[in-house]
Amino acid sequence: MDMKTDVEELLRDGMGRFTEGVRAPAGLASTAARLRRRRRTIRAAVACGTAAVTAAAAVATVTAAGGSASRAPATVTQTHEVAYVVNRVKAALTTENLVFQGKTTGTYGPSTTWAYGHRWRWEEFTGKACRHALPSGDCTHRGGSERYLATGTARAGGKLTGAYVTYYNHEYSLSPITTTLPTSACSRTARLEMSGPGVTPGAHWADFINATLACGAAKVTGHVWIKGVQTIQITGKPITVRLPPGEAKAVREKWARDGWTLYVDPATYLPVRITGWNATFGGPASRTSGSEVMDVQWLKPTAANIAKATITIPPGFRQVASPATQ
Amino acid sequence: MTNDRAVAELEEFLAERADRLLRTAVLLTGSREAGQDLLQTALERLLRHWRTLSGDPEGYLRRTLYNLAADGFRRQGRLQRKLLLLRTDTRPPPDVTAQVDLRDALVRMLVQLPPRQRAVLVLRYWEQLSEAETAAVLGWPEGTVKSAASRGLRRLRELAEGWQPTELHGTKRG
Repeated sequence: MDMKTDVEELLRDGMGRFTEGVRAPAGLASTAARLRRRRRTIRAAVACGTAAVTAAAAVATVTAAGGSASRAPATVTQTHEVAYVVNRVKAALTTENLVFQGKTTGTYGPSTTWAYGHRWRWEEFTGKACRHALPSGDCTHRGGSERYLATGTARAGGKLTGAYVTYYNHEYSLSPITTTLPTSACSRTARLEMSGPGVTPGAHWADFINATLACGAAKVTGHVWIKGVQTIQITGKPITVRLPPGEAKAVREKWARDGWTLYVDPATYLPVRITGWNATFGGPASRTSGSEVMDVQWLKPTAANIAKATITIPPGFRQVASPATQ
Repeated sequence: MTNDRAVAELEEFLAERADRLLRTAVLLTGSREAGQDLLQTALERLLRHWRTLSGDPEGYLRRTLYNLAADGFRRQGRLQRKLLLLRTDTRPPPDVTAQVDLRDALVRMLVQLPPRQRAVLVLRYWEQLSEAETAAVLGWPEGTVKSAASRGLRRLRELAEGWQPTELHGTKRG
């Protein structure tokens, strides 16, 4: 066998096989036009001429040179970079009038969150780890992923109220809406919610993110391509928090350590992905750890999209006194 | 020329070329996702110059694609390159028999070559260009193309000689 000829012929054949079935998606030119408009927007912002805006361009330069954050002590320029980006994210979150949609995967199973104003809905699915659930809530590990439970707001009696629905046993309960709005920066609740597990912080995702960023413990750590967008990566400093007594007793641990990373679209400064990790320790139980990835979309506030942020109680479901009995 | 017209003309230009260009980009990057990003970036640059471009837009686009690929990989850190290798290595084969095929292994080994060698091999063996044509696309001297191709093929032969086919007689699905 002539290896010289064979490698060349095999390579040629292999390339054909590797790319077999690869088809270009429609709209490449339109996407290119959109990308070009987006870069023009960023360049216009950079050309404003303030030191903070120039620092944003320096962020891109740092990324182009290698992508990893400098380990040297933060310089004045780096501090301005973070401050500029963080302020733009906070402004975008405060002024946006879009419906938040977050699809989460990770250790705690798949879930989806929608939020708009005071409305919100968090749905958990059984996923591959559980599949079809029995009325007892137990997993059969057969069949496909199903809707398992939902919590959030629902319309009942003509007004918005809190709701908790369990699909596996066809029950629901109603309660007054409780606000989980963080009251200050570095809110422990916000930090824990950002890192998972997948319990929703409620309607105020933007406020949670803002409160966490305002804590000042975040760094711009580079740029990451996500679905065709070169996002700005903002990494939160990991923290250790003491678990609330009830939770500590339930999980038989004392402490939780958690961290998160935000990926922000540089054209809109809205997050497009949030990742988080956490670990519990210090109690008699074995250490646990988990991580999650939430892909975020910001939907137009149409009637249909706003409706996603409200739970619809399925007909035929039985009302019970509280989630504790479900 | 309005922007809309430029976009419409570009769409028409891509109608018969997009699939092949994407396949080239996939070979240059080793994955469909990265290939699509590479092609999209090249198209954005083409659109920027669409109105003033003289000569063949396809030639400009291919030159941009190949030069971006070489340039982009120089900027990638080791972690991203390692992730690219992992993604390529763990990509499920279309069927069991493909796993033992040296042809598929060679394409996966292609990802391990330096970007300039990879670009030359894709142009020579995928696009089937001559050395002179390859040099024209990349804007390099012909001697540089010859030596990059030679080094790339030598490395692939070394990797191929050390490659062992996976046993076909594993778990049979059925």
